[in-house]
Amino acid sequence: MSEGNTNSDSSVNDLDFLRMDWHKFLKARRSGGGFKLLENYKNDTPGDYDFPVTHVLWIQGAQCTGCSESLLDAANPELLKAFEILNIDLERHEAFLAQQGLFVDGEPANTSELNSEILLDEISERGNYILMVEGAIANGPEGSGKYFMSGNRSSKEMFKKAARNADLIIAVGTCAAYGGINSANSDIVDILDYRGVAFTKKDPSKGILKVLGIDKPVINIPGCPPHPDWIIFTLSAIISGNIRIPDDLPEVLDEFGRPKVFFPPDYNVHKDCPRKEFFKNKEFDTCVGGEKCLLKIGCQACLAHADCTLRKWNDGHSYCVQAGSPCIACVEPDFPDNARPLYSSKKCKTGKEADR
Amino acid sequence: MVRVTVDPLTRVVGPLRLDTEVDENGIIKEARSSNMIFRGFERIYRGQDPRDSILLSQRICGVCPVAHSISAVNALDELFGVAQSVPKDALVSRNINQGLNTISNHLLHFYILWGPDLANPAYGDVLSTFGDLGGSVWKELLGRFAPISYKIGGEVIPPGSSYVGVIPMKKRLHDAGAVIGGKMPHQTVMYPGGVTNNPTTSDIQTLSSIMSEVIDFLNTNAIRMPFEDWVENTYKASSPKKAVDFLIEHLNDLIENSLKTNDLSRSNGWGDVELYSAFGSELIGERLLGLPISFKHDKMGGYGDLSKVGFLSYGGFYNVDHEGYDPTSPSGERFQTSGFMSSSLEYHKFDSNKVTESVKHAFYDDYDGYKHPYEGTTEPFTDSDRINYQNFSEEKYTWAKAPRYDGIPCEVGPLSRLLIMKEPLVTGLVQMFQENGYSPFNCFTRMIARMQELFIITNEMIKWITTDLDPNGKFRVDIDMSTSRDSRGMGLCEAPRGALGHWLITDSNSKVANYQIVTPSTWNLSPRDGEGVPGPLEQALVGCRISAVDNWLGVDFSNPTGILHVGRSYDPCITCAVHTIDLTGQNPPGTFRLL
Repeated sequence: MSEGNTNSDSSVNDLDFLRMDWHKFLKARRSGGGFKLLENYKNDTPGDYDFPVTHVLWIQGAQCTGCSESLLDAANPELLKAFEILNIDLERHEAFLAQQGLFVDGEPANTSELNSEILLDEISERGNYILMVEGAIANGPEGSGKYFMSGNRSSKEMFKKAARNADLIIAVGTCAAYGGINSANSDIVDILDYRGVAFTKKDPSKGILKVLGIDKPVINIPGCPPHPDWIIFTLSAIISGNIRIPDDLPEVLDEFGRPKVFFPPDYNVHKDCPRKEFFKNKEFDTCVGGEKCLLKIGCQACLAHADCTLRKWNDGHSYCVQAGSPCIACVEPDFPDNARPLYSSKKCKTGKEADR
Repeated sequence: MVRVTVDPLTRVVGPLRLDTEVDENGIIKEARSSNMIFRGFERIYRGQDPRDSILLSQRICGVCPVAHSISAVNALDELFGVAQSVPKDALVSRNINQGLNTISNHLLHFYILWGPDLANPAYGDVLSTFGDLGGSVWKELLGRFAPISYKIGGEVIPPGSSYVGVIPMKKRLHDAGAVIGGKMPHQTVMYPGGVTNNPTTSDIQTLSSIMSEVIDFLNTNAIRMPFEDWVENTYKASSPKKAVDFLIEHLNDLIENSLKTNDLSRSNGWGDVELYSAFGSELIGERLLGLPISFKHDKMGGYGDLSKVGFLSYGGFYNVDHEGYDPTSPSGERFQTSGFMSSSLEYHKFDSNKVTESVKHAFYDDYDGYKHPYEGTTEPFTDSDRINYQNFSEEKYTWAKAPRYDGIPCEVGPLSRLLIMKEPLVTGLVQMFQENGYSPFNCFTRMIARMQELFIITNEMIKWITTDLDPNGKFRVDIDMSTSRDSRGMGLCEAPRGALGHWLITDSNSKVANYQIVTPSTWNLSPRDGEGVPGPLEQALVGCRISAVDNWLGVDFSNPTGILHVGRSYDPCITCAVHTIDLTGQNPPGTFRLL
């Protein structure tokens, strides 16, 4: 959609999911609900969907399946309905599909209808798909990638195979985007050497793509886990043709590869906090269970660039701070180190940020 | 011998390799279970605030995160000395969080992780030789359990009604998880001394309403008789025999109603559990009900030598009659009691000191014999050339250690829990299989136990939500940070998949000195131990026929449904199973005393 065509807030056909300002996006979503937003998009007759099929190849590295679980929580529309509307063909996913790796006397057996490894080879050789990655990719020990093996190959080899012919890579969750919990500081973090797709923590020179010498457009959708809306609406923006890959990515993504509409650089979880009055009055809780500002018990909301406060989680039912727990800024590239110790005041920059 | 390898066994969490040697008759002679990931998780706690484990441990598993947060918070309750004074309402809230997650996990397993194997084309081939009835069964299996993006012989198969139907149900369970726990996956409310939030009356209404939806779902899909009638006549039956008789009579009635039409649809009374109960087992389906065909899942996944396996539960869900709880989980203390059950169904009290581990067959440098988790020292291989598992001659082949209870490999999970709490239906089924010459602990009993536990927890949840949870109650006691100096805590709970333990020790600065986790899948998917005794899943694979329905149409090495069923019947979680590690071995034996 052209930049000049922004005349109305109310018409869903004017929505430009990733390019628009987050205020406008949330407003439209609230007025129409996510379902209508998608269902009516570019369709005169509801139900008459004309998107060509989009193939999706999903691979899992070192992860907990929490991102896939979160995707199952998609609301308005529910997941399978969203896939139907967007005409997404989820061709391979280790947790949901029929296939598994099958070998007889060490040789791949059966066909891609039952063998996940043959299927992976077929899809990745054919090309024409979006690669969605869940989990960090093992580079250790010693660059071998052997800390994660699957189907007789390391996740590094698996990723290489899948990435080579992908049109676009979406790193789903903080582990795939930045290494996440797998790259948390410890005395063994360098031996483990887990990598994000295009970044490790904040460092774009340490993504697994750089290690493998592959250059591909990447969109990061961090969060531990990411909100299902962030995933579905990113796919919507791409499939609806609003975002040209890769030309438009510099405009819609922030310096860490996140869609600015969901992870606004000038906005954070603190700004619309229901406890903000207490912050202004400098009334702080010092133990859990109170109703005042959680800054002194570790809250990192002012460093968390995400829209959780307004969007809320699980179909709008709640979110961390509403449940009395400090925000741990799980969408940030240096999670979880940025937020530790989780339940203690971080004296340095947190207070300054909150005052801004 | 033919080498048949499933790698990865998908529809589990994380990479699992099952490697077998199969004879020309299609019978597995040797089996190895390899956990193929190493994440070094516990090391991130070292030197840090022990409370971080509440939220970070959940990142071990996004399918059962609540169990990890409960084990972590149990260890912290003991560490801070508040376990005996956690208010009753906080325990209720924790139970509700855990109950929602257990229901969600069991539904995910039955319908999305396990179910698609019943739509394997091998069943279509076998059932096509059984006339109209066989055709009806196959139609139901495909129509209910086919996964998304499924093709057989190039033909696109639409996803099954049960598979599709469970996704919105799971979403609602996570909605409820957010209402009581902030968000899901990875809830945020556990805290030593209680929980961080007070539920409101409106929250309780939302939770009740979602539990009604769960019961509607179960009545629509899983069991086509009133939920209360099922619970009353099985879980609350006066004896194991009465519970089994009720099931058999109920199935008999269904068959009589369907004989002429071969109508096995839901509208004719066949819920998913009823369909699986009748056709899943040779003993029940063919011998007791007179059906011409069954999947014979009671003839796979059993144990050849019953002296080499036991059943373990740490005790699941707090008893909410009173405030506080005992962190050692003595017999009878939890809603689902702790205990060890021998394979001859002899009950023994649980003693956490009997938990030990061996690393002889894992990718770590050896230590002698066995160690308690508090003593855990492990030197993993950091030289990539040493990480090999392709040959049966390799001594080391997995990242999982081998946990033992009193020296015995143990199955953990719903089957163990229900046997140990003497649940009538599962106890009765196990006894019936034993009396009729079947291995009593098999794929069929394992799956029925999981579904029966789903009904039991659903039933209990209604009581916790509508009777026990008081929005005006007390939801926490304060903790004193100074009590966490030079302290320790043990967090035992029952994750959906089985016994889960966190062991935690702090130093004089109240920072973590050692943190060890032993997960359910470490028990079930254990490798051989120091004596060469295989783990439960490895034992259960040996003797199994690899192709559908006891190799009914001969042996097909390229579609080993037997391995798939037996492996998935344990609901494996690999990302959980490989966290019992201390990479640099900086803590020599003796640094930590045994409890």
